[in-house]
Amino acid sequence: MTMTDIKEFVTEYIQREYTVPEEVDIMTLNYVEGGYIDSMAFIQFISTIEDEYDIEFEVEDIDNPELRIVGKLIEFIKSKIDEQK
Amino acid sequence: MRSQLADLFYKNAAEMPQKQAIWCDGKTATYSEMADLVSRYSNFLVSKGVQYGDHVAIPMNNSIESVALFFTAADLGVCLVPLNPTLPLDSIKVAMQSGDMKHLIARKSFLSDCAKKGGVYVPGITICLDGEFEGAFPFSEVATMPTTRPACEHIKGNESLILTMTSGSTGTPKPIDISQQNKVDRSLAHIRVYGLIKEDRILAATPLYHSLAERLVILPLILGATSILLPRFTPAIWLKCAEEQKPTFTIAVSAQLAQILELIKQTEAQGIDSFRSIVSSSALLEEKVKIELIDRLQCEFHEMYGTSETSTATDICFQAARNKQKSVGLPFDEAEIRILRDDEDTECAVGEVGEIAVKSKLTCKGYYKLKNMMDMATTNGFFRTGDLGYVDEDGYLYFAGRKKELIITGAINVYPNDVDAVVKQLTAVEDCAAFSYPDERLGEVVALAIVVKEDCELNERTVKMYCARNLADFQQPHKIFFVDMLPKNAMGKLQRNRILSHIKTMGLD
Repeated sequence: MTMTDIKEFVTEYIQREYTVPEEVDIMTLNYVEGGYIDSMAFIQFISTIEDEYDIEFEVEDIDNPELRIVGKLIEFIKSKIDEQK
Repeated sequence: MRSQLADLFYKNAAEMPQKQAIWCDGKTATYSEMADLVSRYSNFLVSKGVQYGDHVAIPMNNSIESVALFFTAADLGVCLVPLNPTLPLDSIKVAMQSGDMKHLIARKSFLSDCAKKGGVYVPGITICLDGEFEGAFPFSEVATMPTTRPACEHIKGNESLILTMTSGSTGTPKPIDISQQNKVDRSLAHIRVYGLIKEDRILAATPLYHSLAERLVILPLILGATSILLPRFTPAIWLKCAEEQKPTFTIAVSAQLAQILELIKQTEAQGIDSFRSIVSSSALLEEKVKIELIDRLQCEFHEMYGTSETSTATDICFQAARNKQKSVGLPFDEAEIRILRDDEDTECAVGEVGEIAVKSKLTCKGYYKLKNMMDMATTNGFFRTGDLGYVDEDGYLYFAGRKKELIITGAINVYPNDVDAVVKQLTAVEDCAAFSYPDERLGEVVALAIVVKEDCELNERTVKMYCARNLADFQQPHKIFFVDMLPKNAMGKLQRNRILSHIKTMGLD
């Protein structure tokens, strides 16, 4: 699983309802503050990632504000997948 | 006859082709461009076999395309069924069945997500809004369609235009059936009550799959005003839009207004001076929030009361009725209010709390294919809202709580039974109950009290993830409490309204 694959999955998910404009740097985008995933739907997003990559987020990961940044989330998913190996 | 709703819009397009019709997420369209869009969509749907009376499901986002589709539907005599795109697939399937959907218009991500989970079946056509998807017609084909208006010539006005789905995931959905005439009448009533004019810039900031935003985008386009459609709501996006797009009128959800005020105070935002009038809906706004907002925005401030079934029933202007601050106002000309006692027949005296019942010319056609349910909720032509209230000696209505077991989070109704049914599927759960928990940002949030089976273990994370997979976003529990028992009466009936105090007594909150 490459970073590119994960990026594709994550960016496709956050754009389910609204396309992120081209001029926005998607890797530094806070997708919750930007309204792409609202705070109520955030937990669903996490569960979808868990199902897709067979990984588990700890409660503190779910609360970690850094993981609301696309790039940070992608790095985190990659590290979790690598840990599993 | 042609659709009156579409006619009013096309007339504005003919008279003011260059006027800005709509703004959404940085894009704009003039009346002329919007009319071309509506006509192209109509020609596209007709060319694919969509016919008068067909029901078209659309997991709907806030966009210019979605707004154009409302007018396309009106012009063709088609019924649009906007769905919340975040609903779990099972709920989408139930909603599609209960609304007799024939066709589906969706974004690619929705279609591919559905395909992964077994797909949804529609007997008619599927259209992919963005890009290509196997088995679906690409929406990009509309660009090749003519801009002539292929209006249906035998619209009577009583055709269903929109079915609004009102229930959650496991309960039976109650599709509120709104006719073309309903939409026109509702728009005209709001134009009159709020004195709206062509120069107004009307802001819609809630999802288009709810009746409030539908009203706020259709209304300006039949009036000849400008529609400002927020793509999605966060207080920051709302403020930026208010500064840049200079809206003059909006109907907002009270929970949104509280969040907006908070941000204005934090950022000391200036330059939001364009509003002439703001209406707060869905729940009574706290008085201090109201006063601070008026101070900051310097505009007329209204509260309204209504339901999706009846549309707005009462309105009050804060500045005009200073001695009625806690009231939700006087009835619209179209509406009559009665307060009913528990026997559902006799009327309450002045000041006596009972169930608010509304008889209005703006009431919907009924619940689609559920005539009995509408009849059961109606007494002598008055729709019983499930809300409690009273009327004072001057006829002003006061809201006093809810009779129905309902949690309203950010203006969205959550039926606690729907949440209970899903959580009870967890094998470690002995008993559980969802209940309303006060929240500064959303007014209320869903909380959950769970009794775990003896010799079983269950943690918060497991419950949250199970809910994430099986409930819609607005139904997610924000707080979870593990308790030894739930409060029940002598007959063993759950007393949901006592759970919060029970938890506080136990020192769990």
